[in-house]
Amino acid sequence: MNGKKIKDAIMGPLMSGTSWMIPFVVAGGIYFSLSVMLNGTLFGTPAQPTEGFLGQLNQIGSAGLALFIPILGGYIGYAIEDKAALAPGMIGAYLAREIGAGFIGGIAAGFIAGYTIRFLRKTIKLPPAYRTLLSIFIYPLIGTLVSGGAMVFLIGQPIATLMEMMTNGLNSLSGAAKVPLGLLLGSMVGVDMGGPINKVAYTFAQTQVDTLPYLMGGVGIAGAVPPLGIGLATILFKKKFSPEERDQGIAAIIMGCMGITEGAIPYATADPLRVIPAYVAGSAAGCVSGFLFGCLNHAPWGGLIVLPVVDNRLGYVAGALIGAIVVAVLMRILKPDYVPKGPKEENLDEIEELDFDFEEL
Amino acid sequence: MKVIAVTACPSGVAHTYMSAEALQVAGEKLGIDVKVETQGAAGIENKLTEEDIKEAVCVVLSTDTSIREESRFKGKKVVRMSTSKIMSSALPLMKKIQTTFS
Repeated sequence: MNGKKIKDAIMGPLMSGTSWMIPFVVAGGIYFSLSVMLNGTLFGTPAQPTEGFLGQLNQIGSAGLALFIPILGGYIGYAIEDKAALAPGMIGAYLAREIGAGFIGGIAAGFIAGYTIRFLRKTIKLPPAYRTLLSIFIYPLIGTLVSGGAMVFLIGQPIATLMEMMTNGLNSLSGAAKVPLGLLLGSMVGVDMGGPINKVAYTFAQTQVDTLPYLMGGVGIAGAVPPLGIGLATILFKKKFSPEERDQGIAAIIMGCMGITEGAIPYATADPLRVIPAYVAGSAAGCVSGFLFGCLNHAPWGGLIVLPVVDNRLGYVAGALIGAIVVAVLMRILKPDYVPKGPKEENLDEIEELDFDFEEL
Repeated sequence: MKVIAVTACPSGVAHTYMSAEALQVAGEKLGIDVKVETQGAAGIENKLTEEDIKEAVCVVLSTDTSIREESRFKGKKVVRMSTSKIMSSALPLMKKIQTTFS
């Protein structure tokens, strides 16, 4: 197996699982933190409410947070080997959560479930009349025994210990010690604007939004910075951009506010060597600022749209502004003035060759 | 000529739809009938029908995350590519499909 195949085999299922998981964390994380915040504002006790309306809202949020790791593991299995791996993955990931193995345990359970089912499919061959036996009994029973057993008997406890060490370690990072982590996560978010590297950093922060909300504080800012910054640059330094790019500036800013890093892509494809470094620097600056200002973001999403569930909103906005200004200033320094080209006729006979193969499914 | 595609990305809010649009635009320029099913955050939209699949000469599938119900395309010629690659080279991609299948 070459590097690309290994990457696909891991990243594909992981990203699919994440995409199924996000709505659960959004619903759970936001209602949970909203209830805690309102409890603080209304009754002066910034603790988890247990009674009344807020207690019930908290219950709703907790339900979402309780489900997200099982969903992550289940759908990693689903992405690898379809429906048959869903139950083994979800049950394994549920156990991982119970043991305290957190999202890493959940991810492990999903992969174990997926590949166990794949192995079973390849090895157990039954005559057609007995096929239903496989999907009704054999896959769920053996699959779950392997994925659940792995959690309960083997890797659950070690991963839980590891998770605890990591959470304590990340939690005890204070002030300047958070800078390297902020630089790393911020750069990852800025470098491919919503691509796979960005998603790894996002997933890392999203899956810990309930235990370490400061991670999402920094990453949420970093995700908003590239579109905010480039939009700001199109307004401040008009002559650096083509008329089309200037027109899209406001749209980029809106996307930045909504936490959609992808809004910054068109500028990067037009001039990657100058624009991408500016995004990386801006996102890193934004993430570090968020960490240093102690911004806690309880939503697994970025941009200014999450402000209602952010602690230290002023710091969060300031962090986003700092990042955006870094991007804009770098654009002023790096980007040459835009020179209008003559009307370009797209010649459909001169499309460059693209190398790829057709496979037969 | 008809080409079908399914696009999907992890968060399902931007790359999914941007790559779908790139394919549509490239198809229009080259006179190819393109239908793209998007599997985004809102679920499956513009779902491909059995007829679409039967008529299409080839299927483009994005590789960022797993495509749901891939078994529908059994027996079809398939091109796999990341959504960002589709966005940057939709035109050459469609051109090659056109020359290969005409």
